[in-house]
Amino acid sequence: MYAKVNKFIFSPLITSNASQLIRNYAFKSDLKIKWIRPEKIPCIKPEKSGDRSPFPDIDKNQYMLKYQNCKELETADETVKRLFSLGGNRENETKDFYAKILMDKVKRHDLDCGSMEVRLASQTATIRKLQVHMEKYPKNQRAKVCLKELIDKRKKFLTKLRRWDYRRFEWVLEKLDLVYKAYPSYYHWITRRESLTKLTDIHCKKIRNERLAAYRTHLKSQQIGFLEKKLQNLEFIRKEQIECAVPVTVSIEDIKEVQVKLKSLMEKAARKTLVKQN
Amino acid sequence: MANRVHRAKKALTILLGQCVPSVKSQASKIRIRRMELDENLLMYFRKDSYVFAHDPKKLCKGGDVVLIKQLPEKLTRQITHSIVKVVYRYGDVIDPISGKPVVVGLYRDEIKATNEAFGKSDSAFDYDKAPPRGRLQGTRDFTHRKTYIKWCEDGNEQPFAV
Repeated sequence: MYAKVNKFIFSPLITSNASQLIRNYAFKSDLKIKWIRPEKIPCIKPEKSGDRSPFPDIDKNQYMLKYQNCKELETADETVKRLFSLGGNRENETKDFYAKILMDKVKRHDLDCGSMEVRLASQTATIRKLQVHMEKYPKNQRAKVCLKELIDKRKKFLTKLRRWDYRRFEWVLEKLDLVYKAYPSYYHWITRRESLTKLTDIHCKKIRNERLAAYRTHLKSQQIGFLEKKLQNLEFIRKEQIECAVPVTVSIEDIKEVQVKLKSLMEKAARKTLVKQN
Repeated sequence: MANRVHRAKKALTILLGQCVPSVKSQASKIRIRRMELDENLLMYFRKDSYVFAHDPKKLCKGGDVVLIKQLPEKLTRQITHSIVKVVYRYGDVIDPISGKPVVVGLYRDEIKATNEAFGKSDSAFDYDKAPPRGRLQGTRDFTHRKTYIKWCEDGNEQPFAV
């Protein structure tokens, strides 16, 4: 097996000097292992940041957060109403509106604006808004940097919250619809060579396990025949020893043990065949 | 002399460690952190060693601080210890002096009293109703295994790939 793995096809540029084998830069294994490089997902995408739900569709005819309960607006002109609505103002007003919804889900009391849950909620609202923005304007580098920094900061906060208070951490994940994955222990580039080595290892392990399993079933299939023969031999030896008046080395218990083993194996085999027939 | 060595050995039979994520079903991986003196710099640096402790009931989860004891005989080539006691649960800090639960610098009672003074909202987190840790394991919380950088596209879903 290993001989097959290590057998590489060398490029034709091998010199005739056998002691000094020159191998080309690229060499190929003759195993048919195909490696597909995983597509790179930018860190600002929801798949990476752990946001399960996107920025929702918010009705733009609603008033801004500050003017929600304004009585003058009830009797106001259509133009004035439009001026105070979310649609007639900058996008950040919509974000604040959404942040309020999220914060209301997790806040401890009405005046709470600094607890970890509320900060996480407000960060989540900003992140989701910026993710929508980045879809629309992918070249906005400043927004991209802000977004990445905010995602990292939120992850840091989540890590802290997990250490401080695990049950609250789980509750926040559920309320804000987030996914938390810890950072990998070390960073490394994904290379073709390393990945192929890993894949080859997996392939070899699979072959080894398959062959071991096959060998095991082969040995098991021989068990009954072997025990029958053993029983015959033991009985024969005991009989001969008694007849020749030599010290008896095979006791009746030994023979009985083999008989019991054989019986149980036979029963097992019979049960298996029955199950197969059914 | 011999007596002192014996005592030292006996003292080391129980070790304090922290549980780290692992894939074993019958055992937990425990990190034991020691401080090692660098004689050139005359400074202490931390040195980690990892052991596997037999834990069929999965008493400890990732991050828990546990006491472990060496088994009289190795169970397998890797499993050499067993778990004596879970000292601290991760994310469930209890003040050892007063025995009250703590979150960072405040007792939970204090937080509760503050919330009630300001008028506790209905949506607020309630410790009495909160289920124990671990219900989101594998759905939202992927901390029970090691994560890795995705290196291959094999057609299957890889929940621990980052």
